[in-house]
Amino acid sequence: MALELSKDAIGIIGCIALMMLVIMGVRVYVAAALVGLVGIVSLIGWSAGAGMVGTIPHSKSVNYTLSVLPLFILIGYLAYHAGMTQSLFEAAKRWLGWMPGGLAIATIFAVAGFSAVSGAATAASAVFARVAIPEMLKANYDKRLAAGVVAAGGTLDSLIPPSAIMVVYAIIVEASIGKLLIAGFIPGFVSALTYCLIVFAWSFWNPAVAMPIRGYTWGQRFASLPGTLPMIGVVLIIFASMLLGWATPTEAGALGAFVVLVAALLNRMKLVQLNDALLETAKLTVMIFAIIWGILIFVRFLGFAGVPERFSEWVVGLPFPPWVIIVGILGVYLVLGCFMDAIGMLLLTLPVFFPAVMKLGYDPIWFGIVVVKMCGVCLLTPPIGLSCFVVAAVRRDIPLSDVFKGALPFVLADFLAIAIFIAWPELITWLPDQMLN
Amino acid sequence: MAHAEFSDPTDGTGGGALGAVDRSLHRIEKVTSLIAGYGIFALMMLGVWHVIGRKFFSAPVFGYIDVVEVMMAFLVFLAIGYTERLGGHIRMELLILFLKGRLLALFELVSVLLALVVVAVIGYFSWTHAMRAYTLGDSSIDAEIPLWPSKMVVPVALALLFLRLLISLWAYLRLLVDPTRAAIAVPELLSPEEQARREAEASAALVEAEMGAASAREAR
Repeated sequence: MALELSKDAIGIIGCIALMMLVIMGVRVYVAAALVGLVGIVSLIGWSAGAGMVGTIPHSKSVNYTLSVLPLFILIGYLAYHAGMTQSLFEAAKRWLGWMPGGLAIATIFAVAGFSAVSGAATAASAVFARVAIPEMLKANYDKRLAAGVVAAGGTLDSLIPPSAIMVVYAIIVEASIGKLLIAGFIPGFVSALTYCLIVFAWSFWNPAVAMPIRGYTWGQRFASLPGTLPMIGVVLIIFASMLLGWATPTEAGALGAFVVLVAALLNRMKLVQLNDALLETAKLTVMIFAIIWGILIFVRFLGFAGVPERFSEWVVGLPFPPWVIIVGILGVYLVLGCFMDAIGMLLLTLPVFFPAVMKLGYDPIWFGIVVVKMCGVCLLTPPIGLSCFVVAAVRRDIPLSDVFKGALPFVLADFLAIAIFIAWPELITWLPDQMLN
Repeated sequence: MAHAEFSDPTDGTGGGALGAVDRSLHRIEKVTSLIAGYGIFALMMLGVWHVIGRKFFSAPVFGYIDVVEVMMAFLVFLAIGYTERLGGHIRMELLILFLKGRLLALFELVSVLLALVVVAVIGYFSWTHAMRAYTLGDSSIDAEIPLWPSKMVVPVALALLFLRLLISLWAYLRLLVDPTRAAIAVPELLSPEEQARREAEASAALVEAEMGAASAREAR
């Protein structure tokens, strides 16, 4: 007797199978495509099902809107050769050093700026662990604070354009890429402010930290700016193009990449280095696209099985206020983020979570920013907060446990920022609503 | 998104037949990835040309969006085998990192077998998808560029990935038979500590290069 399964049962079995495969260590794109393929075939038959699955990789990847992604990634790899890390730190010191805890605050902004453009929080932390920590220790800073700001500053990158993870979110939930890129600004700024508050509080307890760096003239301040132009240029080009509707995200990405390329060439990038940067760009691009089409095969299956609607109905029927459910979902990300890359985590969960969150009445842009912010927090939390591991690997004299302790106040600041975003969603939605179309 | 450098598997000679086959395929993979990489470079130049042409000369690139869409297949698929060889595709390593010896080889082997099934099925049906476009003569809307070459990139890239997975299958079978042998022709499995150590090394090189460039500027 053939076993007849209901659509619901097939959908649930599919979700469990995907979870098991991922835990077993199967590549996420393979696991998602496999479960999607088997699921679709079991629902609509072999030739119709497999035939349809065969069209998805091409039809879902080859789309003008998605072409911004390789360009943002290219900006990141070229940024390494633009020679701007020292200049960013120097400029941040001259402009922000007068505040209490000036060196730490300058470090936060320099790391955030470099990681925004390079698109790699952990790599930015590694570089500034070399550039900024020695200076802070020379000024008698607490080791834990010095390590904490370097690890934490890098996690602001995902909110500031060019942010690949923001584009990935927009693609999978079909939101406007331009609006998301714009929406990250105010939350990024609020997050930086909460980080500064932590430094102020720390300097209140430890006067050595409080020592401001004064004595820079305005001339010296402006003289420090040219070196930071590639970074400021890229962010401004993307921000202005989106806000004023001058260019599409792809066009803005192309202009941004070109600016960084010119900076890298002026900094004498060699052909070998360009080849390497392009190979790395191709590698990261194919990684992200493989997981996008893999997940979209799985999403097609979920749609046939009706899983997202069922899950949404269940979530809406729960006897909790919506914000409790949001906090619950963020809790899931906090745990998952300990074991997985942010992009993989978002793509695996959003197809099911996102429709439910929409049904609760939240704004797609708002949810995107909150979720992306949460992914940053995961880089700072034990057991495998990679940013902290990287700082400890660069600075053999600062034990990993001290780095985690130094990062802890910034994790609390992140939670505070997320609470602010949940309480005042207009902070996120206001700016994108001002966009000209 | 780690930027740490990995050793190039085309270097060296050891590993017998498996090592030789691995290196030959990786050379091909590297070429196709470079095509993808320079394609992304071209996408950048095309975008700059398009924007400048539109703003200052009222002469945008004809059929820009069509051209970008036709290019894209080359940019986002061709490096798939290369990335597999270098362990660049996302996976959850939580459980895998606890495993050792024969059990680890077994899990990796199952992973590879599942990937072979998926890649074979999707590869075959993406081929029929491309052949349909070829026989029907599909083309893009504005610039009327034929669509079959773009669609054909998918089965070609997946065929290269299939070959790569066959080599992995051989490599993990070899480890399953005798787990004491050194792993060859497969991606390295890195713990978070090891990843962090490589990232630290990469940053050292970068900071040194910047210091060098800065002192060279001062000397002038």
